[in-house]
Amino acid sequence: MNEALISPFNITHPTTIQTPLYTYRALLSRFDPSGRFVGVGTFDGSAYIYDLDTRAPVRTLDGHVKNITSLDWSRHSRYVLTSSKDWNVIIWDLSSTCDPPQRLATIRLDAPVSWASFHPRNSQIILILTSTGEVYLQDLRPSYRERFELCEPQEEGEDEESGRRAAMTVARFDPSGKQIFVGTSSGHILVFNTRTRIMVGRHKTGGGTMKGFEFAKSGRRLLTNSSDRTLRQYNLPTYPQPGEGVLETDLEPTHRFNDPITKTAWNAMSYSPDGEWLAGGSADPASHKIYIWDISNDGQFTAALDGGREQLLHLHVRTLEALHLWHPSKSAIVSTALHGNIFLWHSPNPERWGAFAGGFEEVDENVEYEEKEDEFDIEDEEEIHKRKMKAEEEDVDVDAISDETHQKPQFLPQENEDDEWADLEPDDDCTSWKMKIILEASDSLP
Amino acid sequence: MNSETQGKDLATNIPPTQVDGTASDIKMQDPENQSQEASQDRFKMRFILSGHNRAISSLKFSPDGTLLASSGADKLIKIWDAYSGEPMRTFEGHKEGVSDVAWSTDGEYLASASDDKSVKIWSMKLNTEVKTLLGHTSFVFCVNYNPRSNLLVSGGFDETVRVWDVARGMVLKVLPAHSDPVTAVSFNHDGTLIVSCSMDGLIRIWDSESGQCLKTIVDDDNPICSHVKFSANSRFVLVSTQDSTIRLWDYHTSRCVKTYTGHVNRIYCLCVCFSGSNSKSKYIVSGSEDNKAYVWNLQTRKVMQVLEGHRDAVLAVATHPTQEIIATASMEKDPTIRLWWPDTVVVPST
Repeated sequence: MNEALISPFNITHPTTIQTPLYTYRALLSRFDPSGRFVGVGTFDGSAYIYDLDTRAPVRTLDGHVKNITSLDWSRHSRYVLTSSKDWNVIIWDLSSTCDPPQRLATIRLDAPVSWASFHPRNSQIILILTSTGEVYLQDLRPSYRERFELCEPQEEGEDEESGRRAAMTVARFDPSGKQIFVGTSSGHILVFNTRTRIMVGRHKTGGGTMKGFEFAKSGRRLLTNSSDRTLRQYNLPTYPQPGEGVLETDLEPTHRFNDPITKTAWNAMSYSPDGEWLAGGSADPASHKIYIWDISNDGQFTAALDGGREQLLHLHVRTLEALHLWHPSKSAIVSTALHGNIFLWHSPNPERWGAFAGGFEEVDENVEYEEKEDEFDIEDEEEIHKRKMKAEEEDVDVDAISDETHQKPQFLPQENEDDEWADLEPDDDCTSWKMKIILEASDSLP
Repeated sequence: MNSETQGKDLATNIPPTQVDGTASDIKMQDPENQSQEASQDRFKMRFILSGHNRAISSLKFSPDGTLLASSGADKLIKIWDAYSGEPMRTFEGHKEGVSDVAWSTDGEYLASASDDKSVKIWSMKLNTEVKTLLGHTSFVFCVNYNPRSNLLVSGGFDETVRVWDVARGMVLKVLPAHSDPVTAVSFNHDGTLIVSCSMDGLIRIWDSESGQCLKTIVDDDNPICSHVKFSANSRFVLVSTQDSTIRLWDYHTSRCVKTYTGHVNRIYCLCVCFSGSNSKSKYIVSGSEDNKAYVWNLQTRKVMQVLEGHRDAVLAVATHPTQEIIATASMEKDPTIRLWWPDTVVVPST
């Protein structure tokens, strides 16, 4: 709503720390899809939900007994998933009216969980990666209830030695949820169809063990983090329908991002929501540095944000909703530092002192003022009044909200049978759910 | 039966609840209200609610339209059934008169602003006070929730606007907003903007996240501002000023697009409302110091109806969120609330 009153000439990426959020030994922090909340996972197994309006924790997710390894939000932020080294994945329902919120499900694995996420269309389908290098697709829908292990099919004629499976080190849904991308310790990317669990693609890449994947919103670009300390951006091909063979190609990166001088490794990376720029979090133990590259400008290095001396563990980029309504490109970064601080980065608007004076316009440079023809004419007051009244006859619309294009659709369009499959037995995650405000016990009461 | 005797009843130490009990029986059709233009009168007085024994400062319908909250100089907050006029409960706790009340979006909490320099939050479920927000250094005059109801904004005689974290009861921001008492403050429909107005005659629009001033609207004559609120789509602000005028401003262009006159507003901060219902006939409702309330057609700016019946200045008005019900309340000499209904009101069955 504040768009028209805020100057549009701003840098699109965040430049300064707006607020630190103080937590006890945070490991990771993620914005929810609407940008109203931040989910924080900590070293001792608790997770917290912070309200960005008040910058205070509003919910405590107490369920794990070891490190939180990942946290994910359902598409309308109602459900939160946490995975932990204690072999569990827990799904929380934030619409419950108590704190800590109700647990919707607990999924127990046979090994520490290193990563888990919701299907982008249905929070009852969950992708889980264990630290032993296995990937599971867990379907919690009542009539599909199953856990399926994703495996690279063995080709005939391969001998025992070369056929030994490489451990899976990364697993992600693509933004449509149609495919699952799995990275292995041998530097391969395996692509599975989510519905049929059949492998549709296998790519060989350089760079060694895969450490992370990140998709641009369109799903056509994939960014990988590998053990050779380089981020690589690939353009993805179109994959065949499941069962119609496997696309086997060597992918060549369109861009490589690294720090040529210090050769720092990367702990985290995130595209901006519009895909215009990329943020990489350096793993340098002595600094909290975020590198920004301008993707729309051929991946040119733009800025390095310095957040002090605590090592960066995790970062996430998101558009904030309040600003989003008017500033689709205005984003915020949340980064997690080693000793528990969480930094919110934003691009500040300069204070406009002229706004304090009524009818005052600020101009950037001197303008020769041209007096209007009738500016100092003495006019009959009655005439002025009449003219004003005439101008007021025009109808005004006090109800219609013009920015409806920004409203997110409740249901995503179904484009193919994969989407249809994912939408069967939908979850209760709708835009209309509300998080109840729970008042803290007050000391001032008698 | 008239309300003055009610006031006396209360003065003779009958517990307020009992007064409420008797007051509930006063549901009368007012015969004097049938003036010359009776045939065109859309709103007819339906109920008189008495219970307050001093001036009533604020009236608010709950977001679902089932309850009506009122506050007064008698330090009390009363909750009434919006359809039957039955008194539901009374909240006591403020040490001085209460100037404003505001409902949270879910209708579970009510915030109140008082001359005892505090804002209190009352729970409908627990039926008690749950939080006291302290920080204002003088009388608190106005209060409102944001749409998510995690923030409160308040203004008062210390000339500041304060933004509060509701859950923790802490001040988040203090905006040095005005150079005179702040008379009204509220959020827009998505909570990104705050509008405030003051006795210094200025209307200011603030960015709620950063607390930056984005715009100031000032009329040529700089009259004292009584009340301000955003239109439903937040494209306009409706401002009543103490030159007996109500204006609808397009704040993007700083242009006044509608002017409403006819009522009297010279001394008090009178409340002004848009009609709450979604019907096509939109109107503006305001109290007046000539003991009446005025209803204007929003587009034509013509007075549609004058609501007569009160025997003192009408300070507070409220419009129902879904029905075309108007509530009005007046000052010391007649501390009653009156509910005005058109014939079209359908009371939802519960």
